[in-house]
Amino acid sequence: MTKRRAELAHAAVFVVPAVVLVAVFIVYPALETLRLSFFDADDNFVGLQNFVQVLASDDTLNLDRFPNTYPAWGSLIHNAVWILIHLPVTVLLGIVLATLLHNLRGGAAIKGIIFLGVVIPMIVGGVLIRFMFDSGAGIVPNFLEAIGFEGVVTRSWTAYPQTSLMALILGSILLWTGFSLTMHSSGLSTIPKELYEAADVDGAGTLVEFFRITIPMLAPVTTVVIAMTLLWEIKIFDIVYAATRGGPGGSSMVLSLQMYNYAFRALEQNLAATVGVLLAVFTGLVGIWLMRRNAKEVNG
Amino acid sequence: MRKVLVPLAVLAFAVAPAFAAGEAEPEVESITVSVPWAGDELDTFMPVVEAFEDQHDAQVNVVTQRAEDLVEVLPAQFAAETSAADVIMMWEWWISENGEHIMNKNDLWERYEDDMVSPPIVDAAGDVRGVSVSMNLKPGFWYRQSFFEEHGLSEPDTHEEFVQLLDDIQQIDGVEAAIGSGNGVGWPLTDIVEHFIINYGGPELQLDLIEGNVGWVGTEAEDMFREQLVPLLEAGYFSDPVDFTEMIELWWDGDYGLYPIASFITGVVDDPDDLGVFALPGQRAVVQAPDSFFIPEYTDNPELAREFLDFVLSEEGQAVRAEGGDRMVPSTAVPDDAYPPAMREVASLAAEMETLVPDLDDEIGGDWQSTFWDQLTLLWVEPGAIDDVLETIDAMDVE
Repeated sequence: MTKRRAELAHAAVFVVPAVVLVAVFIVYPALETLRLSFFDADDNFVGLQNFVQVLASDDTLNLDRFPNTYPAWGSLIHNAVWILIHLPVTVLLGIVLATLLHNLRGGAAIKGIIFLGVVIPMIVGGVLIRFMFDSGAGIVPNFLEAIGFEGVVTRSWTAYPQTSLMALILGSILLWTGFSLTMHSSGLSTIPKELYEAADVDGAGTLVEFFRITIPMLAPVTTVVIAMTLLWEIKIFDIVYAATRGGPGGSSMVLSLQMYNYAFRALEQNLAATVGVLLAVFTGLVGIWLMRRNAKEVNG
Repeated sequence: MRKVLVPLAVLAFAVAPAFAAGEAEPEVESITVSVPWAGDELDTFMPVVEAFEDQHDAQVNVVTQRAEDLVEVLPAQFAAETSAADVIMMWEWWISENGEHIMNKNDLWERYEDDMVSPPIVDAAGDVRGVSVSMNLKPGFWYRQSFFEEHGLSEPDTHEEFVQLLDDIQQIDGVEAAIGSGNGVGWPLTDIVEHFIINYGGPELQLDLIEGNVGWVGTEAEDMFREQLVPLLEAGYFSDPVDFTEMIELWWDGDYGLYPIASFITGVVDDPDDLGVFALPGQRAVVQAPDSFFIPEYTDNPELAREFLDFVLSEEGQAVRAEGGDRMVPSTAVPDDAYPPAMREVASLAAEMETLVPDLDDEIGGDWQSTFWDQLTLLWVEPGAIDDVLETIDAMDVE
């Protein structure tokens, strides 16, 4: 055996198992899912018919209700609303909290507590949200009632279509902010102190330093946080499943849960695959954006 | 290369005994039985298991898995020709539709059919695939006798008296709403709706809805919603949906006066002797939800699984189950005095009815069932959405 062949054999020991696993458990299911999305239950090719059926369904996109009245607006809009609210809030909260807690005595402990939301299983997070917004035991409705609010915000949020989606979004902010906080905290520690010292000499105030030094220097970290948070939001499932199951009346349905219901409730594997492909496209777009952004930073 | 292979070989030798130990044959034969019960509800079933174990040199492992969860995993398990349990409790419609994965029980049923009030569950070919071993009845509105005595309340004899009772309860200090609405994934709300359907249109309407002979829009079903249920919801007599186990405690503590839920409640409250129950005035039928067991084709121990089912259906097994107290049993061989007092009251109420009818959503099942659950949770908090709710339910295929 030549040296070259020995090296190849050596490499194969490490590479082949991984390639086989990826091929069997990722590549094949992904291709099969893609194939299913273009076929009907009898395995006849139907082109884009499944995509039309899914996107034309009120469960996915209900433009009769959006934006004139409260949800159900369809899972696609619910996911979009989730992203529009959850993404900026968690990213900004993470930056602000990281800055406030940086070098603060006891800051590490507070960060640890906030990070707990990320490490608990999200199915438990869903149960927590249900209780947090419960009219009997929940802190949110009872607090709002105590300060004079009336109406559905003082009832069980997850039971009402007007509030169920917002309960999930607000709860998920609580659960996910720890990720943004931790990432930005580690980013903060890489910013040279000299930058702040020079700014102090030039008479810059705290706010100027925050907007002119901290935020720009954290940009690479923020990009990663945005990408990871977007992916988390697009595939959000367990919180919704545990807290509302997409109800009441579909008012908190999201794409992943819709896919699950197609697959395991309605036993419509082809429609489930179609939603899966849509989810893959959305996450792929985020991935492409992240890669291009990273390439831009590397290339200056 | 050798640097890699040698450590791998050492690792393989090190872990091999662990795998070998894991494959050792158990000394006692065992089966796994899957039921949806936990806590007090499971405790009333365990005497049946223990009685079987006493008579057979076998071990029965009981696992808790709800039907609404099993429905999502069993198809994949069966496709892989495996099963998480040897005896499984499941919805009737599901057992009927999945006959090809389930053992035939024609011979077992032939031995017991003369003594059973519940029909067997058959597949499209008419072969018996599942059997009902106990029944959850949905008799109507439960109340605490002490609560009624304390506030001078009594069971209603007319619809007007029923509404007056709700009004009286609503006026009591500390009461949140006259009726507590339990919620799981939507199903205790269905019990209430079915009770009203039967009250309004008789057992015939319930059966027609199950068969798909009658729709939900422009029919008696819609009339029932508009004339009976929605006005009560709009008047605030029903609470918001609250987790059904949490609701048991709230209702027991007096936050709510009435609690419409199935007869299993007799096995989970602190003092079953304090329970009272009444049906809506004029009720002619009561819903019975069977606890239906089946044996999957992919069980590792079909003989023991069959022996277990045989024992549960036997007069002895049925009597032990009846003594547990939260279920009726389908066997007519079990005398009434085998039941605890609270279940005797349910039995007596059921005996006054013309007939028992199947559970509507359990019977239809599938995607329709989950849509029905979801829409009822919406109706409960938005009675004004009745048009959308009925149209959505009506648009679903009843297969």
